[in-house]
Amino acid sequence: MLIPRRVKHRKQHHPKRSGMAKGGTEIAFGEYGIQAVTPAYVTNRQIESARIAITRHIRRGGKVWINIYPDRPLTKKPAETRMGSGKGSPEWWVANVKPGRVMFELSYPNEKVAREALLRAAHKLPMKCRIVRREAGES
Amino acid sequence: MSEVRIAAEPRTEFGKGAARRTRRAGKVPAVVYGHGADPVHLSLPGHDLMLALKTPNVLISLDVAGKTELVLPKAVQRDPIKGFLEHVDLLAVKRGEKVTVEIPIHVEGELAPGGNLLEHNLNALPVEAEATHLPEAVTVSVAGLAAGATIAAREISLPQGTTLAVDGDTPVLHVVAAQAEEAAAGAAGEGESAEG
Repeated sequence: MLIPRRVKHRKQHHPKRSGMAKGGTEIAFGEYGIQAVTPAYVTNRQIESARIAITRHIRRGGKVWINIYPDRPLTKKPAETRMGSGKGSPEWWVANVKPGRVMFELSYPNEKVAREALLRAAHKLPMKCRIVRREAGES
Repeated sequence: MSEVRIAAEPRTEFGKGAARRTRRAGKVPAVVYGHGADPVHLSLPGHDLMLALKTPNVLISLDVAGKTELVLPKAVQRDPIKGFLEHVDLLAVKRGEKVTVEIPIHVEGELAPGGNLLEHNLNALPVEAEATHLPEAVTVSVAGLAAGATIAAREISLPQGTTLAVDGDTPVLHVVAAQAEEAAAGAAGEGESAEG
């Protein structure tokens, strides 16, 4: 699973959920992609699960790109603990995804198989998604 | 490429409030700059502009208060979800002037059999051409290319009067062998070693 090797601060504030994606809103590498339509925190487990869903469906003959990275830690206090005594321990690593962000990209010769693979991956993700295709031409 | 005529109105109020009012009225805020002149702020009809921008590097003839000006789209801002136009930067050009633009690359033909994939190193090809004779796209044939083959910028045949604006050795398209499932799993597992 994706985890940062070293971080400056182990515990951080929660990332902001508002706004739209500022970049990474178009397909840059592959032919098809999964675009977020609503905001969400995507955990490293969800990213890995989506990646496995794609690679298991296409088997061979494709290439997958992951454009998001879970670099924000979320903490959690243990159950049945009184309030206070500091912030909880890091529990999850998440990517803060805003609407419009293309999270996964796929290059595969057969469109039907590629769309099905991405649809399976989208079911593993915590937000509403849509499958997009590389656009050639518009200004 | 033919010109598209669009009637524009000068913009007198600025800021997000004014820009939102402009968009609510079905118009798109725009700015025209180039040739060392002061930038001119305009509002353009949204539907006409949207139709015009369907053509890559479309040459637009703007009618602003009785004057006509030739412009090219320089930067287009769209809503990432709905796709409507939010703002357009337009570059003023003159007839006969050489400009550098990025033209889309169209690929034709089938790669050699054996699960090969085509990778786009460049999504669009930067070229220099006359503003009134810009090519719409370049077509590259990849028929029969096997894994490891690369098409460099200089190998792409350009229309007459168009020259490359990048180094000729720049790879544009690259054919790679398909990624195996095991290889993909290994690549993604690299970051597991440490925890913050």
